Amino acid sequence: MIATPTTESPPRVLTRVRGVLKPSMLGQLAALPAIVIAVLVGSQLNRAFLTVDNIMTNVLAASAVLGVLTVAAALIIIAGHFDMSTQSVVAFAPVLSVWLVMPAAAGGSGVELDPVLGLLLIFVLGAVVGAINGFLVAGLKLNAFIVTLAMLILLQGMTLGIGGGETLSNLPEVFTYLGSARWLGIPAEVVVAVAVFVAAGLFMRYTVTGRQIYAIGGNPDAARASGIRVERITFWLFVASGVLAALAGLLMTARIASVTASQGNNILFTVFAAAVIGGIDLRGGRGRIVGVATGVLLLALVQNILLVSQIPSFWVNAIYGAIILLALMTGALAQGSWLTRFRRSPHAPQPAPDRSGDDR
Amino acid sequence: MSPTDPPAIEVDRVSKWFGPTRALDDVSFAVAKGQSRALLGRNGAGKSTLVSLITGIARPDTGELRIVGEPLHGQDDRIGCVYQRSSLIPAFTAAENVLIKHYPRRRGGLIHWRELRERARGLLDEWTIGDLADEPVERLQPMHKKIVEICRALVSDPEVLILDEPTAGLDKSDTARLFALLERLRERGTTVLYISHHLEDVFRVCDSVTVLRDARHVLTAGIGDVTMAQLVEAIVGEQPPSAVTRPPRASEAPVVLSVRDVRVDDRVGPVDLELRAGECIGIAGLEGCGKATLARALVGLEPRSGEVVVDGREVEPGDVPEALRAGIGYVPEDRHVDGMVSVLDVSENSTMALAPRIGRRPLGFLPRLSRRADLDRAYAELARQWRIVASSPRQLISELSGGNQQKCVMARAFATDPRLLVLVNPTAGVDVSAKASILASLSSALDRGAGVLVFSEDADDFALCDRILIMIRGSVVAVLDEEWTEADLVAAMQGEAA
Repeated sequence: MIATPTTESPPRVLTRVRGVLKPSMLGQLAALPAIVIAVLVGSQLNRAFLTVDNIMTNVLAASAVLGVLTVAAALIIIAGHFDMSTQSVVAFAPVLSVWLVMPAAAGGSGVELDPVLGLLLIFVLGAVVGAINGFLVAGLKLNAFIVTLAMLILLQGMTLGIGGGETLSNLPEVFTYLGSARWLGIPAEVVVAVAVFVAAGLFMRYTVTGRQIYAIGGNPDAARASGIRVERITFWLFVASGVLAALAGLLMTARIASVTASQGNNILFTVFAAAVIGGIDLRGGRGRIVGVATGVLLLALVQNILLVSQIPSFWVNAIYGAIILLALMTGALAQGSWLTRFRRSPHAPQPAPDRSGDDR
Repeated sequence: MSPTDPPAIEVDRVSKWFGPTRALDDVSFAVAKGQSRALLGRNGAGKSTLVSLITGIARPDTGELRIVGEPLHGQDDRIGCVYQRSSLIPAFTAAENVLIKHYPRRRGGLIHWRELRERARGLLDEWTIGDLADEPVERLQPMHKKIVEICRALVSDPEVLILDEPTAGLDKSDTARLFALLERLRERGTTVLYISHHLEDVFRVCDSVTVLRDARHVLTAGIGDVTMAQLVEAIVGEQPPSAVTRPPRASEAPVVLSVRDVRVDDRVGPVDLELRAGECIGIAGLEGCGKATLARALVGLEPRSGEVVVDGREVEPGDVPEALRAGIGYVPEDRHVDGMVSVLDVSENSTMALAPRIGRRPLGFLPRLSRRADLDRAYAELARQWRIVASSPRQLISELSGGNQQKCVMARAFATDPRLLVLVNPTAGVDVSAKASILASLSSALDRGAGVLVFSEDADDFALCDRILIMIRGSVVAVLDEEWTEADLVAAMQGEAA
């Protein structure tokens, strides 16, 4: 339809705004109001909270590991699968590498691998673990949840066996560099995590492969029918997830300047919480990386506030859990999924045309 | 077009076997450029096999397919297909779905979203729904989803467009609007292969027809050269009149089901009927006519309005346990979806409805325990009655043949000795002998005084029926209550008076 410019210009601005603030996006960014509240509460509790330094080092840098792992989880969930093994790679890849690098006297293997090769090895190990997961899920059609859960247990056990439960410290500088370096005054960890978010966000939005990942998670049969190589993409996604988990492992090693078999333990729950708060649909096919960033940011802020507040440390976890539940509930409300769920009668299928009455 | 132009699609002496089953036997026909050709035949006549050959999913064993004179090998951009089942990505916008195989890219290879939206909007605009380009398809109406699928199939400008039951799931007014839009295909000069069970639709949108029967080509004709009756005859072939094997029921028998003014949204209804003990009523209609929806509504699986009285007891809508307690035995449309629990064994599957009755309460008040021994004993009795062939009560139901699975599902519905049986497609996908034994059990249930409703489109299922209600697009439009032939039934389901 052709309209005259005079009548067109004001509504055009409006449609622009509406285009950006589509209702579907409200669900994705449901964490935003919660972030505002968290910042307000934090600044009331402690004057040091709202300082560049606290936000940079104690909120953002401290959540770099969580952020990278949540991106990995989000990619896999969007494709309709789960990867539980990332948590164990966070310990396994650095522990094995460092063990091969360190001399026997310092608790290492005595192989004394070149540290730079050791650094590369971390990523290779992540890729290998991901490739095994990918083969089992995409090739052998095993259930990703169970496969990666078994991998999680296996790798945790192996990590413990290799290191003997010892903490290895005094690491070569290549392993600790990212934990202390600042690039242009910004902690290197933050730069790395932000780069991962930007790359993943652009990849999922602007490449055909990224869109195909959404299609696979949204309707695998339709994806296959439109010529998408479902198995191949799924395989490489698990490899990517393994590599990102290895990166998270390196970041964590750099941060604590040592390796220990228990590093990364229990982070998985926070990862999934951040992904879901960020609008990633656990059924696959929906959610955006921007949303994931808000989910991670919210949990990082809450963690920091709980630390700087006067709450007894024994209660911190309980409150953290309660806040995650609250965030999930507000997210569901914002997406309107509560209403539709209660409105629909319990047994009636959704009025989709492909399941209408007699269609088989 | 000069007479020497090669046809848009040419099927040349094509045969296809699936194991010992012949799916297509030496089929040949051609469709000239720009024609709309209907492809007709009963379920199993070979239509879907032919579609899978044309779309390149399968290959013919002998013979050749040619598109504009050139042989077809595998999947090909010259063929567009709109499948009966939606193949859209629900969370993507209409625009992205349309161009899902052809994302416009920027120079660096990244997706050019603005161009994608503009191009898709242009394509959708030709079909009057350009303003829906930015909506996720899951929020679109069924007809608009269909149009999105048609647009997607047309993006690569195919020589031949296959439309497989495009009006399934659409109501009357949407169907009419879709047909009006399909005129555009004719204007574009697109060759269309139109697959449908609705002969009425075929007469409206096609200019020629090809009929397959039992894997063979039986007829190709211009639409003006055939009558509805001739088409029906070509589709069903020579059939003897159905033998009415049962004497008519006495009309004094008590009423077991009375249905008054039942509607399901605007998809079904209003339906009124009365069923007496020992009476069998068939409800016949093509896929998508709403018969299965009506059956689901009667047992409470679908919200409905109106009044349903079973055995003198009014049943609340949407309450399945209540409906079953009132005495309904239900055999669902598709046993794989909601008829059986495939990971349980035959004994558990067949006795599921009985379990609460034969369970014992320890000490008189603890929850009922269902003991395997009790269930297996009950199963042994059912297996004898229904001639279920399984290696043991513990064999998984998924390991049985389709016929034996269906017998388990039927046995469960009959086991509680219901006053009313609601059976949807009771013999779908079962062999001849299983069909016969299922009908025999049905007959003895009628003799015991149960009322039976059979929902189906398969003439064999209605052998025991006293009358058959014909359902078209959600309403009962006709009744067959005298001797009928399969041709009468098929014609009636098309909306033709027998």
